[in-house]
Amino acid sequence: MTTKNFPGYFRWLLLLLVLAIFPWFLKDQGYAIRVLILVMLFAAMAQSWNIVGGLANQISLGHAAFFGIGTYTSTILLIRFGISPWLGMLAAMLVAALAGAILSIPTMRLRGHYFALATLAFGEVMRAIANTWTSLTGGPVGISVPFSQPSLSLMQFKSSLPYYYIMLGALVITTVIFILISRSKLGYRLRAVKANPEAAEVIGVNTVRTKVMAAVISAALMGACGTLYAQFNFFFDPDTAFSLTGVSIRVALICIIGGIGTAAGPIIGAFFIIPVEELFNDLLSGQAAGVSQLGYGLILIAIILIEPHGISALLERGKKMWKGKRYV
Amino acid sequence: MQLLQALIDGLLIGGVYAVISIGLTLVFGVVGIINFAQSQFLMVGMFIAFFAWKFLGLDPLFGAVLAFAGVFVLGALIQKYLISRVLKAPEVSQIFLTVGLLIVLENLALIVFGSEFRSVQTAYQTSAWRLGGLMFNVPYVAAFAVSAVTGLLIWWVLKKTWWGWAVRATSQDVMAAQLVGISPARVHQMAFGLGVGLTALGGSIILPYLTVSPTIGDQFGVLMFTVVVLGGLGNILGAVVGGLAVGMIQSISSLVMPIQLQNLALFLIFILVLAVRPEGLLKKAS
Repeated sequence: MTTKNFPGYFRWLLLLLVLAIFPWFLKDQGYAIRVLILVMLFAAMAQSWNIVGGLANQISLGHAAFFGIGTYTSTILLIRFGISPWLGMLAAMLVAALAGAILSIPTMRLRGHYFALATLAFGEVMRAIANTWTSLTGGPVGISVPFSQPSLSLMQFKSSLPYYYIMLGALVITTVIFILISRSKLGYRLRAVKANPEAAEVIGVNTVRTKVMAAVISAALMGACGTLYAQFNFFFDPDTAFSLTGVSIRVALICIIGGIGTAAGPIIGAFFIIPVEELFNDLLSGQAAGVSQLGYGLILIAIILIEPHGISALLERGKKMWKGKRYV
Repeated sequence: MQLLQALIDGLLIGGVYAVISIGLTLVFGVVGIINFAQSQFLMVGMFIAFFAWKFLGLDPLFGAVLAFAGVFVLGALIQKYLISRVLKAPEVSQIFLTVGLLIVLENLALIVFGSEFRSVQTAYQTSAWRLGGLMFNVPYVAAFAVSAVTGLLIWWVLKKTWWGWAVRATSQDVMAAQLVGISPARVHQMAFGLGVGLTALGGSIILPYLTVSPTIGDQFGVLMFTVVVLGGLGNILGAVVGGLAVGMIQSISSLVMPIQLQNLALFLIFILVLAVRPEGLLKKAS
């Protein structure tokens, strides 16, 4: 920790402070705080994706599988056995981690397009299972978290504020884990795997173990986010919990827009895309179901063609151009 | 007898899967990207054939020609203005450009056509030929026949024409192709157009026995990838074999398990093949 790093830490703390104080100025249970809660949650989800997608450059299109597992695990435990969602969240992380490990067996040697294809198929498998296994999941009609008196142990609150702080906590935890991993040996190994897998293997990196570890951590965090979503939203069905565009592609898009592989990327991306999406939905108020999704796809194509490294790189470029003009 | 019937149905349906998937494998083999939006072009093809039937009274089997032509042009333009710009970019960009296309096409269709299901009425729709104790559904047979003719045409174009020669050269070595006077950009445009056009054609010829809606592509996405991966990505003959195999797996598995799980069986095969033989089953120790 040299003094050079200090401003970096300072910036993070400042951001945290702003995010912690900000909701006091908003109307409780209002629309704005609901949007902010979703921003936090999706930033946390994108940060989990970032561990595999950003550090190792293994582009997963199936992270909805772990998210969906998280939503269903805690909710089913709560309904059937009355187990607190906090414990349910731990169970969700375990099951999601297990699923991540199982998925790693066939996919750990795959790269690029092949990896994306295999993970995409995995997400769709999970969706099919959730839709078919009606006795466990309730099938296509979906499942509701039973409503109870507000209680901390059941993670149910009257006001939106507790949800806000829980999501903020999730974002802080996932971001800290991401930063810790990227600075640890695992992080360097992941980057070695990303840059040149053969060379990494030659210098003694166990590439398979490295990738599996990252995949398992990422899956577990995603599972926890699933539980949080279930508790916040109260209702979900297989097609939303295991949604390809709604979850898998969305978290990847958030990372890409904000800057893939960076700790700030998912936060920037979520603060951009989620409000834009909500705005679209609000303006059109469900008149045309596809319009906000369409905008979404267009943004994705535009960012890929204009600046594949995301908004922060775009700003950097703008800054350089502006400075350049001053000197010319 | 039931098994034989399932085999016949599977083979007939599989013929269409083959044509649909040749498009996907062709794009990968020549342009070098996996087009995640490929199944959306099937949907576009189905809509073109549907409206050709509705407004021009054209049978979907002939509307298929229109669907092919329309989507060919659309594909060539997409290649020229979008895909060509990420060919040298990292894989992330390539993957998400076509994923973006998938979202755009599906939702554009949703906005323009609405989410309802549409179907055509033809004279032969419900008729079947009986031979011994076996049944040959006429729409299946017709779709299979068109698929077979299309497959042969593609084979002829790729093997016997100058253009096919240029395509094969480009897919083997872009630099060398350029040296002998082939424009890779043009070949890519043609190949992408041809690839998505074929898938659109496949979409039209299944219209007599299926309904079309903006989300129909979702049902075919993983199926197409399974076919292509089974045969080896970029391998056209592989796509034919894979298509027939997937058709038969699907119809045989429907004898023993519910429809939703049928797709599950496909997914599992898909992931297994990817894990064990990502180069496909056909390329055996060559």
